[in-house]
Amino acid sequence: MRRLWAVVRREYLERARSKAFLVGTLAGPILLGGLMVAPGALMARQRGQPLRVAVLDASGRLQAEVEQALRERRVDGLPRFDVRPAGQGTQEERRARLRQQVLAGQLDGYLILPEDALERSQAEYHGRNVSAVMDLSLLDRVVEERLQARRLLDAGLAPERVQAAQMRLDLKTVKLSEGGEREDRGASFLLSMVLLMALYTSVAMWGAALMNGVIEEKTNRVVEVVVSSIPTSTLFAGKLLGVGAVGLTQLGVWALVTGGLGLAGSQAAALSGLKLPEVPPHLLLFFVLFFLLGFFLYGALYVSIGAAVNSQQEAQSLVFPVVLPLVVGVMFFPVVLGSPDSGLSVALSLVPFWTPLLMFLRMTVVTPPAWQVGLGLALTLASIAALTWAAARIYRVGILMHGKRPTLPEILRWVRHR
Amino acid sequence: MTSDGEALRLESVTKAFAGHVAVRELSLRVPRGSVFGLLGPNGAGKTTTLRMVMDVLAPDSGRVFVLGRPADAAARDRIGYMPEERGLYPRMQVDEQLAFLAELKGLGRAEALRRATPWLERLGLFEWRRRKLNELSKGMQQKVQLVATLLHQPEVLILDEPMSGLDPVGTDVVRDVLLEARARGCTLVLSSHQMDTVERLCDRVALIHRGGLLLEGTVAEVKRRHGGNHVALVVEEGDPSFLEAWPGVLAARREGGGRLLLELAESCDPQPLLREAAARLRLARFERVQPSLHEIFVERVTAAGGPA
Repeated sequence: MRRLWAVVRREYLERARSKAFLVGTLAGPILLGGLMVAPGALMARQRGQPLRVAVLDASGRLQAEVEQALRERRVDGLPRFDVRPAGQGTQEERRARLRQQVLAGQLDGYLILPEDALERSQAEYHGRNVSAVMDLSLLDRVVEERLQARRLLDAGLAPERVQAAQMRLDLKTVKLSEGGEREDRGASFLLSMVLLMALYTSVAMWGAALMNGVIEEKTNRVVEVVVSSIPTSTLFAGKLLGVGAVGLTQLGVWALVTGGLGLAGSQAAALSGLKLPEVPPHLLLFFVLFFLLGFFLYGALYVSIGAAVNSQQEAQSLVFPVVLPLVVGVMFFPVVLGSPDSGLSVALSLVPFWTPLLMFLRMTVVTPPAWQVGLGLALTLASIAALTWAAARIYRVGILMHGKRPTLPEILRWVRHR
Repeated sequence: MTSDGEALRLESVTKAFAGHVAVRELSLRVPRGSVFGLLGPNGAGKTTTLRMVMDVLAPDSGRVFVLGRPADAAARDRIGYMPEERGLYPRMQVDEQLAFLAELKGLGRAEALRRATPWLERLGLFEWRRRKLNELSKGMQQKVQLVATLLHQPEVLILDEPMSGLDPVGTDVVRDVLLEARARGCTLVLSSHQMDTVERLCDRVALIHRGGLLLEGTVAEVKRRHGGNHVALVVEEGDPSFLEAWPGVLAARREGGGRLLLELAESCDPQPLLREAAARLRLARFERVQPSLHEIFVERVTAAGGPA
């Protein structure tokens, strides 16, 4: 027991003291936090200055009311459009002048309402920047509403009825859970994605770290000194536990720092109207659990590879089949998130290689029945037991083998080796 | 049957890997307190044999005993093993490294660090104890490895090629340390293909070849039994050709400076040959020659079918 502890301690300290760990641990939450806050902050920034526009009406009826509608449109209490006069002269003269102003940067763009704008419901916007999606769709909406209103008025509807007829739909999405209900505008999706990516990254990263540790011990031959003192199974277990503990430490730091960043970033998020998702404590607990399951499952495979090869270069081609199920699991995320309780999603989340990722992903959006979670855990634990058993045997033979890289059948023979 | 007088005992041990037999029916006894040389060309099965003693590999058949008990986890705590391919953690501090490896032998951390200090001072490594291993020179790393092997005060020291890669100063240090260990009553097992090292240090030797035992005994016994019957003459005047045809002379080799080496049949008495030579030639020297271990082993291995 003391010797196992010595191995765990060594594995833990070697990694936790390394610069790479420090950088990864600090950079992780900054990236993650950035991912959560950046879209909101960006959207808020895009809505900085109101759009300077002029209206050029060829129909002769709409100029004033469109201008007024634009002036009155506010977002977060601030006007979005700075309506400039279109000037005097013929239609062509005014248009040429506006064009000059746009090119000179005095104006962002101008709206052209053709003579039959009302009949055909058509308009043009000319501007230097026609990719300010948020503002242009707003412009589109304002003008559309105005034209609709005019048509309704022309049809004889009373002005107050027109407003009632034009009421827009406000669709709220509400996330249901045992803990109560809560309005949700995309934050839950973002949270699921961020947590899934964090889970995937951690499993892949620490699995690879485990593999590299095995290769390193093998190439610098220290492993023979170690296994002449302790059983290979002790070394194997110590490595899994030590590296797993480093991974947990990193996740812990991430959780703390992201929490802090989240608070700091909530202002930026609030500005964009995006509510930061709350992470329920039970979800964090399951995150840790599924990280450990994923780490031990994939870690066993990574260790086997490390033991079989002589160098990291040799490991490359063997790593692919291990990483593949992990990547495929991540790629199922739109399927599972789209309908987390469908038969397909349930089936996928019960495949041991995907349970750590997909069962957890389902948990972020729904509460799967306990039997599904239990079955998933049981299957995964059984797979971990079988894989670590095989990996320990491959490890025992492989770490003392040097020279030619073994073929897959040879590696499988090691499992049966006495 | 095992005896407390034996540090190691192998009984008809066999180990095969994927169709190739590394060790075949090997039986060995290493008496306690002796310095034992395990010799053989590359690929003879030395490392495999030592790994079985260390319980790193399990024999396919046969039994291994350490200090009178079956080789197991408890037994190997009493052995210090330095494999041929040296290995330490390159990015670990020297003192951490020594503490870790001693902990694996069941020593406490504090105790290990306490014991390491005099060793590090003696070998000039004390100033380096907080450095990472890869900041040390190769020679210094070798010394760290030696300390790691000794820290738990083993009763049996097994060193695979102990002198390889050492400069003359390093060689002296290792030899002094080994002689001290023997004086303490520690059994030494040295595996090597450098016969001169072995000849100077060992009391007993075993030569293995292609996984089997070729010969075994004290150095003196081996020389007497396997050295053959050789005489050497140094001729100052005269033609010694007639000696090459002398009955009982199996082979003759002319060397520089008029030296002639004759290999005689086991039963051949050199005395009549000496009398005849003295009568017909002017001799500066006549002697019976004992070959070095090196010569014996080269001869035996070649006779057994060359290196594996």
